[in-house]
Amino acid sequence: MLVAWNYRYRNSPMDHIDPRARFIFSFAILFAATTTWNPNILFAVFVIAITWYSLGRLTWKDTRFGWLMISIMLFTMIVINTIITGGGAGGVVPPGGQLVWPDGVSIFGRHLNIGLTVERLWFAVSQLMRILSISLVFIMIPYTMDSRAYGVTFSKLGLPDRLAYTMELSFRFIPTLARNFQVTLDAQRARGFELDAGKGNIIQKIRQVAPLLIPVTMNAIVSSEDIANAMDLRGFGQRKRTWLYELKFHWWDWAIIAFAVVMLAAVVLLAYHFDMRLFSVPNWWYGLFN
Amino acid sequence: MKDTYTTGKKKSIWSFGTKEVVYAAIGAALYAVVTWAFNIWQIPGAGNVGIRPAVVIPMFFGIAFGPIVGFITGFVGNILADMLSGYGFWIWWDLGNGIMGLIPGLFSAMVYKYNETKSIIWGELSVILGAGLGMGLAAISEMWVSGADINTVIFANFLPAFLTNIVWGLILLPILMIAYAAIVQRSGR
Repeated sequence: MLVAWNYRYRNSPMDHIDPRARFIFSFAILFAATTTWNPNILFAVFVIAITWYSLGRLTWKDTRFGWLMISIMLFTMIVINTIITGGGAGGVVPPGGQLVWPDGVSIFGRHLNIGLTVERLWFAVSQLMRILSISLVFIMIPYTMDSRAYGVTFSKLGLPDRLAYTMELSFRFIPTLARNFQVTLDAQRARGFELDAGKGNIIQKIRQVAPLLIPVTMNAIVSSEDIANAMDLRGFGQRKRTWLYELKFHWWDWAIIAFAVVMLAAVVLLAYHFDMRLFSVPNWWYGLFN
Repeated sequence: MKDTYTTGKKKSIWSFGTKEVVYAAIGAALYAVVTWAFNIWQIPGAGNVGIRPAVVIPMFFGIAFGPIVGFITGFVGNILADMLSGYGFWIWWDLGNGIMGLIPGLFSAMVYKYNETKSIIWGELSVILGAGLGMGLAAISEMWVSGADINTVIFANFLPAFLTNIVWGLILLPILMIAYAAIVQRSGR
Protein backbone atom coordinates (compact mmCIF):
# COMPACT_ATOMS: atom_id res chain seq x y z
CA MET A 1 0.00 0.00 0.00
CA LEU A 2 1.57 3.21 -1.14
CA VAL A 3 0.77 6.30 0.90
CA ALA A 4 1.12 9.51 -1.04
CA TRP A 5 0.62 12.97 0.46
CA ASN A 6 -1.46 15.28 -1.63
CA TYR A 7 1.03 18.13 -1.25
CA ARG A 8 3.43 18.99 -4.02
CA TYR A 9 5.45 22.12 -4.59
CA ARG A 10 3.82 24.21 -7.33
CA ASN A 11 5.81 27.43 -6.91
CA SER A 12 2.48 29.15 -6.36
CA PRO A 13 2.08 32.31 -4.24
CA MET A 14 0.63 30.05 -1.52
CA ASP A 15 3.91 28.10 -1.35
CA HIS A 16 5.65 31.29 -0.24
CA ILE A 17 3.24 32.19 2.55
CA ASP A 18 4.19 31.21 6.09
CA PRO A 19 1.94 28.40 7.42
CA ARG A 20 1.23 30.42 10.59
CA ALA A 21 -0.10 33.32 8.52
CA ARG A 22 -2.15 30.83 6.51
CA PHE A 23 -3.81 29.30 9.57
CA ILE A 24 -4.53 32.75 11.04
CA PHE A 25 -6.08 33.89 7.74
CA SER A 26 -8.12 30.67 7.38
CA PHE A 27 -9.58 30.99 10.88
CA ALA A 28 -10.33 34.69 10.28
CA ILE A 29 -12.38 33.65 7.22
CA LEU A 30 -14.15 30.96 9.29
CA PHE A 31 -15.15 33.44 12.01
CA ALA A 32 -16.02 36.21 9.52
CA ALA A 33 -18.27 33.87 7.48
CA THR A 34 -20.05 32.54 10.55
CA THR A 35 -20.64 35.95 12.18
CA THR A 36 -23.38 37.17 9.87
CA TRP A 37 -26.10 36.25 7.36
CA ASN A 38 -25.96 39.67 5.69
CA PRO A 39 -25.77 39.03 1.91
CA ASN A 40 -23.32 41.83 1.15
CA ILE A 41 -20.85 40.82 3.84
CA LEU A 42 -21.14 37.14 2.93
CA PHE A 43 -20.49 37.99 -0.71
CA ALA A 44 -17.40 40.04 0.21
CA VAL A 45 -16.04 37.17 2.33
CA PHE A 46 -16.81 34.73 -0.49
CA VAL A 47 -14.83 36.85 -3.00
CA ILE A 48 -11.87 37.06 -0.57
CA ALA A 49 -11.99 33.25 -0.13
CA ILE A 50 -12.01 32.67 -3.92
CA THR A 51 -9.03 35.01 -4.30
CA TRP A 52 -7.20 33.16 -1.51
CA TYR A 53 -7.97 29.79 -3.13
CA SER A 54 -6.66 31.00 -6.50
CA LEU A 55 -3.28 31.71 -4.88
CA GLY A 56 -2.81 27.95 -4.47
CA ARG A 57 -3.00 27.28 -8.24
CA LEU A 58 -4.83 24.02 -7.62
CA THR A 59 -6.40 22.09 -10.45
CA TRP A 60 -9.74 20.26 -10.41
CA LYS A 61 -7.86 16.97 -10.72
CA ASP A 62 -5.94 17.77 -7.53
CA THR A 63 -8.92 18.50 -5.33
CA ARG A 64 -11.81 16.53 -6.83
CA PHE A 65 -12.14 14.08 -3.91
CA GLY A 66 -12.41 16.91 -1.42
CA TRP A 67 -15.01 18.70 -3.53
CA LEU A 68 -16.95 15.47 -3.92
CA MET A 69 -17.27 15.24 -0.14
CA ILE A 70 -18.30 18.90 0.09
CA SER A 71 -20.85 18.40 -2.70
CA ILE A 72 -22.49 15.59 -0.72
CA MET A 73 -22.61 17.85 2.34
CA LEU A 74 -23.98 20.79 0.35
CA PHE A 75 -26.60 18.60 -1.33
CA THR A 76 -27.83 17.26 2.02
CA MET A 77 -27.84 20.59 3.77
CA ILE A 78 -29.04 22.91 1.06
CA VAL A 79 -31.08 21.00 -1.50
CA ILE A 80 -32.88 18.56 0.78
CA ASN A 81 -33.06 20.41 4.10
CA THR A 82 -33.35 24.01 3.00
CA ILE A 83 -35.10 23.93 -0.36
CA ILE A 84 -37.21 20.76 -0.32
CA THR A 85 -38.18 20.37 3.34
CA GLY A 86 -37.42 23.90 4.54
CA GLY A 87 -35.81 22.49 7.67
CA GLY A 88 -32.40 24.10 7.33
CA ALA A 89 -33.90 27.56 7.10
CA GLY A 90 -35.58 27.30 10.49
CA GLY A 91 -34.58 29.91 13.01
CA VAL A 92 -32.83 32.17 10.47
CA VAL A 93 -35.55 32.79 7.87
CA PRO A 94 -38.74 34.35 9.31
CA PRO A 95 -41.91 32.27 8.76
CA GLY A 96 -44.15 33.03 5.78
CA GLY A 97 -42.84 34.87 2.74
CA GLN A 98 -43.45 35.05 -1.01
CA LEU A 99 -44.03 31.72 -2.77
CA VAL A 100 -41.83 30.97 -5.79
CA TRP A 101 -44.76 29.19 -7.50
CA PRO A 102 -47.89 30.80 -6.00
CA ASP A 103 -50.21 28.93 -8.42
CA GLY A 104 -48.46 25.58 -7.94
CA VAL A 105 -46.79 23.52 -10.68
CA SER A 106 -47.92 20.70 -12.93
CA ILE A 107 -45.64 17.66 -13.04
CA PHE A 108 -46.64 14.70 -15.26
CA GLY A 109 -50.20 16.03 -15.41
CA ARG A 110 -50.54 16.32 -11.62
CA HIS A 111 -50.96 19.68 -9.91
CA LEU A 112 -48.61 20.20 -6.98
CA ASN A 113 -48.45 23.03 -4.44
CA ILE A 114 -44.82 23.65 -3.50
CA GLY A 115 -44.17 25.70 -0.37
CA LEU A 116 -40.74 26.96 -1.45
CA THR A 117 -40.46 30.69 -0.78
CA VAL A 118 -38.23 33.33 -2.36
CA GLU A 119 -36.73 33.96 1.09
CA ARG A 120 -35.81 30.29 1.57
CA LEU A 121 -34.26 30.19 -1.86
CA TRP A 122 -32.12 33.22 -0.99
CA PHE A 123 -31.19 31.55 2.29
CA ALA A 124 -29.90 28.59 0.22
CA VAL A 125 -27.74 31.03 -1.79
CA SER A 126 -26.44 32.61 1.44
CA GLN A 127 -25.73 29.18 2.91
CA LEU A 128 -23.90 28.23 -0.27
CA MET A 129 -21.71 31.35 -0.05
CA ARG A 130 -20.96 30.73 3.63
CA ILE A 131 -20.08 27.02 3.30
CA LEU A 132 -18.09 27.54 0.11
CA SER A 133 -16.09 30.41 1.67
CA ILE A 134 -15.07 28.15 4.55
CA SER A 135 -14.49 25.13 2.28
CA LEU A 136 -12.31 27.12 -0.13
CA VAL A 137 -9.81 28.13 2.55
CA PHE A 138 -9.71 24.82 4.45
CA ILE A 139 -9.86 22.29 1.61
CA MET A 140 -6.66 23.61 0.07
CA ILE A 141 -4.52 23.11 3.18
CA PRO A 142 -3.47 19.46 2.58
CA TYR A 143 -2.64 20.22 -1.05
CA THR A 144 -0.59 23.34 -0.45
CA MET A 145 1.11 22.82 2.91
CA ASP A 146 4.22 20.69 3.30
CA SER A 147 3.65 17.89 5.81
CA ARG A 148 6.99 18.77 7.44
CA ALA A 149 5.58 22.17 8.41
CA TYR A 150 2.71 21.05 10.65
CA GLY A 151 4.67 20.22 13.83
CA VAL A 152 6.73 23.39 13.83
CA THR A 153 3.73 25.51 12.83
CA PHE A 154 1.59 24.34 15.74
CA SER A 155 4.59 24.64 18.07
CA LYS A 156 5.17 28.26 17.00
CA LEU A 157 1.45 28.96 17.33
CA GLY A 158 1.71 28.05 21.01
CA LEU A 159 1.04 24.29 21.18
CA PRO A 160 3.27 22.58 23.82
CA ASP A 161 6.40 20.99 22.35
CA ARG A 162 5.44 17.43 23.24
CA LEU A 163 2.09 17.76 21.50
CA ALA A 164 3.63 19.38 18.43
CA TYR A 165 6.28 16.66 18.31
CA THR A 166 3.58 13.98 18.58
CA MET A 167 2.03 15.42 15.44
CA GLU A 168 5.41 15.46 13.70
CA LEU A 169 6.10 11.87 14.76
CA SER A 170 2.74 10.62 13.52
CA PHE A 171 3.60 11.83 9.99
CA ARG A 172 6.77 9.76 10.23
CA PHE A 173 4.83 6.62 11.22
CA ILE A 174 2.28 6.72 8.42
CA PRO A 175 4.37 5.00 5.69
CA THR A 176 5.55 2.33 8.17
CA LEU A 177 2.05 1.57 9.39
CA ALA A 178 0.64 1.56 5.85
CA ARG A 179 3.26 -1.04 4.94
CA ASN A 180 2.40 -3.10 8.05
CA PHE A 181 -1.28 -2.85 7.13
CA GLN A 182 -0.54 -4.18 3.64
CA VAL A 183 1.70 -6.99 4.98
CA THR A 184 -1.02 -8.05 7.44
CA LEU A 185 -3.67 -7.88 4.72
CA ASP A 186 -1.55 -10.06 2.43
CA ALA A 187 -0.83 -12.54 5.24
CA GLN A 188 -4.53 -12.82 6.11
CA ARG A 189 -5.47 -13.19 2.45
CA ALA A 190 -3.00 -16.08 2.21
CA ARG A 191 -5.09 -17.70 4.98
CA GLY A 192 -8.30 -17.23 2.98
CA PHE A 193 -9.36 -13.84 4.40
CA GLU A 194 -11.58 -11.74 2.11
CA LEU A 195 -12.18 -8.04 2.35
CA ASP A 196 -14.68 -7.15 -0.29
CA ALA A 197 -16.23 -3.74 0.12
CA GLY A 198 -19.96 -3.56 -0.42
CA LYS A 199 -20.69 -7.19 0.45
CA GLY A 200 -22.91 -8.08 3.38
CA ASN A 201 -24.60 -6.13 6.15
CA ILE A 202 -22.81 -4.13 8.83
CA ILE A 203 -22.26 -7.13 11.15
CA GLN A 204 -20.66 -9.11 8.30
CA LYS A 205 -18.48 -6.11 7.50
CA ILE A 206 -17.32 -5.89 11.11
CA ARG A 207 -16.51 -9.60 11.05
CA GLN A 208 -14.44 -8.97 7.93
CA VAL A 209 -12.54 -6.12 9.55
CA ALA A 210 -11.55 -7.69 12.90
CA PRO A 211 -8.88 -10.13 11.59
CA LEU A 212 -7.18 -7.18 9.92
CA LEU A 213 -7.57 -4.44 12.52
CA ILE A 214 -6.55 -6.44 15.62
CA PRO A 215 -3.08 -7.65 14.45
CA VAL A 216 -2.23 -4.24 12.91
CA THR A 217 -3.11 -2.42 16.15
CA MET A 218 -1.34 -4.87 18.46
CA ASN A 219 1.75 -4.91 16.26
CA ALA A 220 1.89 -1.11 16.36
CA ILE A 221 1.61 -1.01 20.16
CA VAL A 222 4.33 -3.64 20.66
CA SER A 223 6.76 -1.79 18.36
CA SER A 224 6.09 1.57 20.03
CA GLU A 225 7.76 0.34 23.23
CA ASP A 226 11.13 0.09 21.48
CA ILE A 227 10.73 3.53 19.92
CA ALA A 228 9.94 5.10 23.31
CA ASN A 229 12.99 3.44 24.88
CA ALA A 230 15.22 4.68 22.05
CA MET A 231 13.86 8.23 22.49
CA ASP A 232 14.43 8.11 26.25
CA LEU A 233 18.03 6.94 25.72
CA ARG A 234 18.60 9.99 23.52
CA GLY A 235 17.23 12.33 26.20
CA PHE A 236 13.88 13.18 24.63
CA GLY A 237 12.09 16.04 26.36
CA GLN A 238 15.06 17.18 28.48
CA ARG A 239 15.44 20.52 26.68
CA LYS A 240 13.38 22.80 24.50
CA ARG A 241 13.10 21.23 21.09
CA THR A 242 14.59 22.66 17.91
CA TRP A 243 13.03 21.97 14.52
CA LEU A 244 14.77 20.94 11.32
CA TYR A 245 12.15 22.70 9.22
CA GLU A 246 12.39 26.40 10.05
CA LEU A 247 9.70 29.01 9.58
CA LYS A 248 10.44 32.63 8.77
CA PHE A 249 8.01 35.53 8.52
CA HIS A 250 8.31 37.85 5.53
CA TRP A 251 6.71 41.27 5.10
CA TRP A 252 3.85 39.74 3.07
CA ASP A 253 3.05 37.32 5.90
CA TRP A 254 2.61 40.26 8.28
CA ALA A 255 0.47 41.97 5.65
CA ILE A 256 -1.75 38.87 5.39
CA ILE A 257 -2.13 38.65 9.16
CA ALA A 258 -2.94 42.38 9.36
CA PHE A 259 -5.51 41.99 6.56
CA ALA A 260 -7.10 38.99 8.33
CA VAL A 261 -7.36 40.89 11.63
CA VAL A 262 -8.78 44.04 9.99
CA MET A 263 -11.26 41.99 7.92
CA LEU A 264 -12.53 40.09 10.96
CA ALA A 265 -12.75 43.26 13.05
CA ALA A 266 -14.68 45.02 10.26
CA VAL A 267 -17.15 42.13 9.93
CA VAL A 268 -17.73 42.00 13.70
CA LEU A 269 -18.18 45.79 13.81
CA LEU A 270 -20.65 45.77 10.91
CA ALA A 271 -22.54 42.80 12.30
CA TYR A 272 -22.94 43.94 15.89
CA HIS A 273 -22.51 47.73 15.92
CA PHE A 274 -24.29 48.47 12.65
CA ASP A 275 -26.82 45.66 13.12
CA MET A 276 -25.95 43.80 9.91
CA ARG A 277 -25.93 40.37 11.50
CA LEU A 278 -29.38 39.05 10.60
CA PHE A 279 -30.66 37.38 7.45
CA SER A 280 -32.09 39.71 4.80
CA VAL A 281 -33.11 39.36 1.15
CA PRO A 282 -31.93 41.96 -1.41
CA ASN A 283 -34.66 43.70 -3.40
CA TRP A 284 -33.25 42.62 -6.77
CA TRP A 285 -33.80 38.99 -5.73
CA TYR A 286 -37.56 39.60 -5.29
CA GLY A 287 -37.53 41.25 -8.72
CA LEU A 288 -36.45 37.96 -10.32
CA PHE A 289 -39.67 36.25 -9.20
CA ASN A 290 -42.21 38.96 -10.08
CA MET B 1 -6.05 -0.10 41.96
CA LYS B 2 -3.33 -1.85 39.96
CA ASP B 3 -2.56 -0.95 36.39
CA THR B 4 -1.01 -4.23 35.37
CA TYR B 5 -0.85 -7.80 36.51
CA THR B 6 2.67 -7.31 37.82
CA THR B 7 3.73 -3.78 38.78
CA GLY B 8 1.12 -2.86 41.35
CA LYS B 9 1.53 0.87 40.54
CA LYS B 10 -1.39 3.27 40.59
CA LYS B 11 -2.46 4.62 37.26
CA SER B 12 -1.99 8.30 36.53
CA ILE B 13 -4.26 8.99 33.57
CA TRP B 14 -2.94 12.51 32.92
CA SER B 15 0.78 11.70 32.55
CA PHE B 16 2.28 12.49 29.16
CA GLY B 17 5.85 11.21 29.04
CA THR B 18 7.90 9.73 26.22
CA LYS B 19 5.83 6.55 26.03
CA GLU B 20 2.59 8.50 25.78
CA VAL B 21 4.09 10.70 23.03
CA VAL B 22 4.90 7.56 21.01
CA TYR B 23 1.57 5.86 21.73
CA ALA B 24 -0.30 9.00 20.67
CA ALA B 25 1.76 9.35 17.48
CA ILE B 26 1.35 5.67 16.62
CA GLY B 27 -2.36 5.83 17.41
CA ALA B 28 -2.89 8.92 15.23
CA ALA B 29 -0.94 7.42 12.33
CA LEU B 30 -2.82 4.12 12.66
CA TYR B 31 -6.19 5.89 12.79
CA ALA B 32 -5.25 7.83 9.65
CA VAL B 33 -4.02 4.80 7.69
CA VAL B 34 -6.99 2.57 8.56
CA THR B 35 -9.52 5.37 7.93
CA TRP B 36 -7.92 6.11 4.59
CA ALA B 37 -7.89 2.42 3.66
CA PHE B 38 -11.60 2.06 4.47
CA ASN B 39 -12.80 5.31 2.93
CA ILE B 40 -14.51 3.34 0.18
CA TRP B 41 -17.41 2.78 2.60
CA GLN B 42 -18.69 6.36 2.49
CA ILE B 43 -22.46 6.61 3.03
CA PRO B 44 -23.89 8.69 0.18
CA GLY B 45 -26.25 11.49 1.12
CA ALA B 46 -25.52 11.55 4.83
CA GLY B 47 -23.57 14.77 5.34
CA ASN B 48 -19.85 14.21 5.29
CA VAL B 49 -20.09 11.05 7.34
CA GLY B 50 -18.51 7.74 6.43
CA ILE B 51 -18.58 4.21 7.90
CA ARG B 52 -15.26 4.07 9.68
CA PRO B 53 -14.15 0.90 11.46
CA ALA B 54 -11.06 2.86 12.51
CA VAL B 55 -13.11 4.87 15.06
CA VAL B 56 -12.37 2.12 17.54
CA ILE B 57 -8.68 3.10 17.49
CA PRO B 58 -8.97 6.41 19.43
CA MET B 59 -11.45 4.72 21.77
CA PHE B 60 -9.06 1.85 22.44
CA PHE B 61 -5.98 4.09 22.78
CA GLY B 62 -7.96 6.21 25.26
CA ILE B 63 -8.93 3.18 27.36
CA ALA B 64 -5.41 1.72 27.24
CA PHE B 65 -3.21 4.83 27.57
CA GLY B 66 -5.33 7.63 29.02
CA PRO B 67 -7.33 10.67 27.90
CA ILE B 68 -4.46 12.72 26.42
CA VAL B 69 -3.33 9.85 24.19
CA GLY B 70 -6.95 9.11 23.26
CA PHE B 71 -7.61 12.75 22.39
CA ILE B 72 -4.48 13.15 20.26
CA THR B 73 -5.13 9.84 18.50
CA GLY B 74 -8.58 11.01 17.45
CA PHE B 75 -7.75 14.67 16.82
CA VAL B 76 -4.45 14.33 14.95
CA GLY B 77 -5.50 11.03 13.36
CA ASN B 78 -8.56 12.64 11.82
CA ILE B 79 -6.49 15.57 10.50
CA LEU B 80 -4.04 13.11 8.93
CA ALA B 81 -6.82 10.92 7.52
CA ASP B 82 -8.46 13.94 5.87
CA MET B 83 -5.08 14.99 4.52
CA LEU B 84 -4.47 11.56 3.01
CA SER B 85 -7.96 11.41 1.55
CA GLY B 86 -7.79 15.00 0.27
CA TYR B 87 -10.84 16.10 2.29
CA GLY B 88 -9.36 19.30 3.69
CA PHE B 89 -9.07 20.51 7.27
CA TRP B 90 -12.24 20.52 9.40
CA ILE B 91 -11.25 21.48 12.92
CA TRP B 92 -14.68 20.90 14.53
CA TRP B 93 -14.85 17.31 13.24
CA ASP B 94 -11.22 16.80 14.31
CA LEU B 95 -12.13 17.98 17.82
CA GLY B 96 -15.15 15.66 17.84
CA ASN B 97 -12.92 12.72 16.99
CA GLY B 98 -10.51 13.82 19.72
CA ILE B 99 -13.32 13.79 22.29
CA MET B 100 -14.30 10.32 21.09
CA GLY B 101 -10.86 9.20 22.34
CA LEU B 102 -10.71 11.48 25.37
CA ILE B 103 -13.89 10.21 27.05
CA PRO B 104 -12.80 6.53 27.04
CA GLY B 105 -9.49 7.82 28.41
CA LEU B 106 -11.29 9.19 31.45
CA PHE B 107 -12.52 5.65 32.12
CA SER B 108 -9.01 4.22 31.82
CA ALA B 109 -8.37 4.63 35.56
CA MET B 110 -11.16 2.12 36.20
CA VAL B 111 -9.83 -0.38 33.69
CA TYR B 112 -6.84 -2.36 34.90
CA LYS B 113 -7.47 -5.90 33.74
CA TYR B 114 -8.50 -5.52 30.15
CA ASN B 115 -10.17 -8.92 29.81
CA GLU B 116 -12.40 -8.62 32.87
CA THR B 117 -16.14 -8.30 32.32
CA LYS B 118 -16.29 -5.17 34.51
CA SER B 119 -13.54 -3.47 32.50
CA ILE B 120 -15.24 -4.33 29.23
CA ILE B 121 -18.53 -2.88 30.50
CA TRP B 122 -16.72 0.36 31.44
CA GLY B 123 -15.17 0.33 27.98
CA GLU B 124 -18.56 -0.12 26.27
CA LEU B 125 -20.07 2.67 28.33
CA SER B 126 -17.18 4.95 27.39
CA VAL B 127 -17.77 4.15 23.70
CA ILE B 128 -21.38 5.33 23.89
CA LEU B 129 -20.52 8.47 25.88
CA GLY B 130 -17.47 9.27 23.77
CA ALA B 131 -19.25 8.85 20.45
CA GLY B 132 -22.28 10.76 21.75
CA LEU B 133 -20.31 13.75 23.06
CA GLY B 134 -17.70 13.78 20.29
CA MET B 135 -20.08 13.49 17.36
CA GLY B 136 -22.59 15.69 19.19
CA LEU B 137 -20.08 18.52 19.48
CA ALA B 138 -18.98 18.15 15.86
CA ALA B 139 -22.56 17.99 14.58
CA ILE B 140 -23.76 20.95 16.68
CA SER B 141 -20.85 23.01 15.37
CA GLU B 142 -22.43 22.59 11.90
CA MET B 143 -25.29 24.78 13.17
CA TRP B 144 -22.79 27.55 13.75
CA VAL B 145 -20.77 26.92 10.58
CA SER B 146 -23.41 26.19 7.95
CA GLY B 147 -26.52 27.62 9.59
CA ALA B 148 -28.27 24.25 9.63
CA ASP B 149 -31.13 23.79 12.08
CA ILE B 150 -31.29 21.20 14.84
CA ASN B 151 -33.26 18.64 12.76
CA THR B 152 -30.73 18.77 9.95
CA VAL B 153 -27.88 18.45 12.40
CA ILE B 154 -29.46 15.47 14.15
CA PHE B 155 -30.56 13.54 11.07
CA ALA B 156 -27.86 14.44 8.55
CA ASN B 157 -24.80 14.71 10.78
CA PHE B 158 -25.19 13.37 14.28
CA LEU B 159 -27.20 10.16 13.91
CA PRO B 160 -25.29 8.63 10.94
CA ALA B 161 -21.96 9.32 12.65
CA PHE B 162 -23.07 8.34 16.16
CA LEU B 163 -24.87 5.12 15.23
CA THR B 164 -22.16 3.75 12.95
CA ASN B 165 -19.41 4.73 15.40
CA ILE B 166 -21.02 3.03 18.39
CA VAL B 167 -21.68 -0.14 16.36
CA TRP B 168 -18.00 -0.35 15.40
CA GLY B 169 -16.86 0.66 18.88
CA LEU B 170 -19.15 -1.68 20.84
CA ILE B 171 -18.14 -4.71 18.79
CA LEU B 172 -14.46 -4.08 18.16
CA LEU B 173 -13.38 -2.48 21.46
CA PRO B 174 -13.84 -5.64 23.60
CA ILE B 175 -11.92 -7.68 21.00
CA LEU B 176 -9.05 -5.18 21.10
CA MET B 177 -9.12 -5.09 24.91
CA ILE B 178 -8.92 -8.87 25.16
CA ALA B 179 -6.10 -8.99 22.60
CA TYR B 180 -4.25 -6.25 24.51
CA ALA B 181 -4.74 -8.10 27.82
CA ALA B 182 -2.81 -11.03 26.34
CA ILE B 183 0.04 -8.71 25.37
CA VAL B 184 0.08 -7.04 28.79
CA GLN B 185 0.14 -10.40 30.54
CA ARG B 186 2.87 -11.79 28.30
CA SER B 187 5.17 -8.77 28.46
CA GLY B 188 4.48 -7.80 32.08
CA ARG B 189 3.67 -4.13 31.29
